[in-house]
Amino acid sequence: MARNMTLLWGSGSPPCWRVMIALEEKKLQGYNSRLLSFDKQEHKSQEVFSINPRGQVPSFKHGDIIVNESYAACFYLESQFKSQGTKLIPDSPEEVALMYQRMFEGLTFYDKLTAVIFYEYYVPEGERLDSALKRHKDALTIELKLWEGYLHNRDSGSNLAGKSFTLADVVIFPTVATLFRFGLSEKRYPKLGEYYALLRKRPSIKASWPPHWLENTKGQDTLKDV
Amino acid sequence: MAQDMTLLWCSGSPPCWRVMIALEEKKLQGYNSKLLSFEKMEHKSQQVLDINPRGQLPSFKHGNIVVNESYAACFYLESQFKSQGTKLIPDGTEEQALMYQRMFEGLTFYDKLSAAIFYDYYVPEGERLESALKRNKEALVTELKLWEGYLEKLGSGSYLAGKSLTLADVIVFPTVATLFIFGLSAERYPKLGEYYALMKERPSVKASWPPHWPENLMGQDTLKDM
Repeated sequence: MARNMTLLWGSGSPPCWRVMIALEEKKLQGYNSRLLSFDKQEHKSQEVFSINPRGQVPSFKHGDIIVNESYAACFYLESQFKSQGTKLIPDSPEEVALMYQRMFEGLTFYDKLTAVIFYEYYVPEGERLDSALKRHKDALTIELKLWEGYLHNRDSGSNLAGKSFTLADVVIFPTVATLFRFGLSEKRYPKLGEYYALLRKRPSIKASWPPHWLENTKGQDTLKDV
Repeated sequence: MAQDMTLLWCSGSPPCWRVMIALEEKKLQGYNSKLLSFEKMEHKSQQVLDINPRGQLPSFKHGNIVVNESYAACFYLESQFKSQGTKLIPDGTEEQALMYQRMFEGLTFYDKLSAAIFYDYYVPEGERLESALKRNKEALVTELKLWEGYLEKLGSGSYLAGKSLTLADVIVFPTVATLFIFGLSAERYPKLGEYYALMKERPSVKASWPPHWPENLMGQDTLKDM
């Protein structure tokens, strides 16, 4: 089962982390785990291109079946291994509706984060503008307040879509962890801080924690004033 | 059933169109359909904010259950009305995997389209750069070639994930239609042209066609040289 699966991934990449959390939650440990180096441009190697014409990670294969795109792989794994490991899509209409909505708001959340922390990666040197970066930071602040509010309305110790851990947590936790890695203030965002503290203890998350974050526990402070 | 549903939408918005196609395919005609004007800023009205704090369309409600975000609403509808209308998520493992992957590649496809044709909407006047717009247009061409290749591989008369229409088509078709309305050349992209011609005839697509668009292929010509 898991032995027929291969995941090509890079350390610290939230999309890769999502798939790794899903694999752990579905009890699919033992998959072929190929850690590639972004610094050495290994995500643009033939090995990746042979699975993913976009030359992006995560790239995922299950036997002959390719499922690139992190959300696609997560949905695929839950659908194919529904009866194994953690149930990641709840049955009740209210919970499932909230899960879906948060998952897709999670795309916006991740975009607003990367627009700030990967600004120089996305924008060529000659086109970078202080006003644009400021605009992205302001947008991230607005986004953070929204999520702080979402968590504030839930009971303490709860997950994003309710009592259970769902696909919403699988796809969004890596974004939250990255925020704190890049210096987000837990004082300013206490509910996000609580959510982070709660989930980082989860076995699937501990097992898939980015290796270079363990080697170097000090992150950056890009977001300290956001 | 459908009478308990409300969709707030605006004409020509691909995300809104996705949900409307899904509602049609699941035989949920008769929902409360509220057409709002983007130009008059009605997407920021109290009516929308009551359902969606982001002040965005589509906003969707089923009884007391809110499901904003177009992909979320589509997944929700398929999950809650599985046994009614068209089956939008196939059972076959390969088809399902391909459907999921194309759905999420569809996010990139839509982003690249928007970055090219809605550049002035997203970027404030003082920050617009010819070099950036040029880069965005080139990125769209690369993306188009990828999808042209995907359709070529599947063969004539095929849908995005195989023989039948799936959520991948519900999600991605509005992007394809927008491309042609904005002048994309079917001669240069024959496979996409074929797919467009195929999907245009589908009752769900005809029933939800943006009211302000002309039926034929005349519209703006922003993309004619792409």
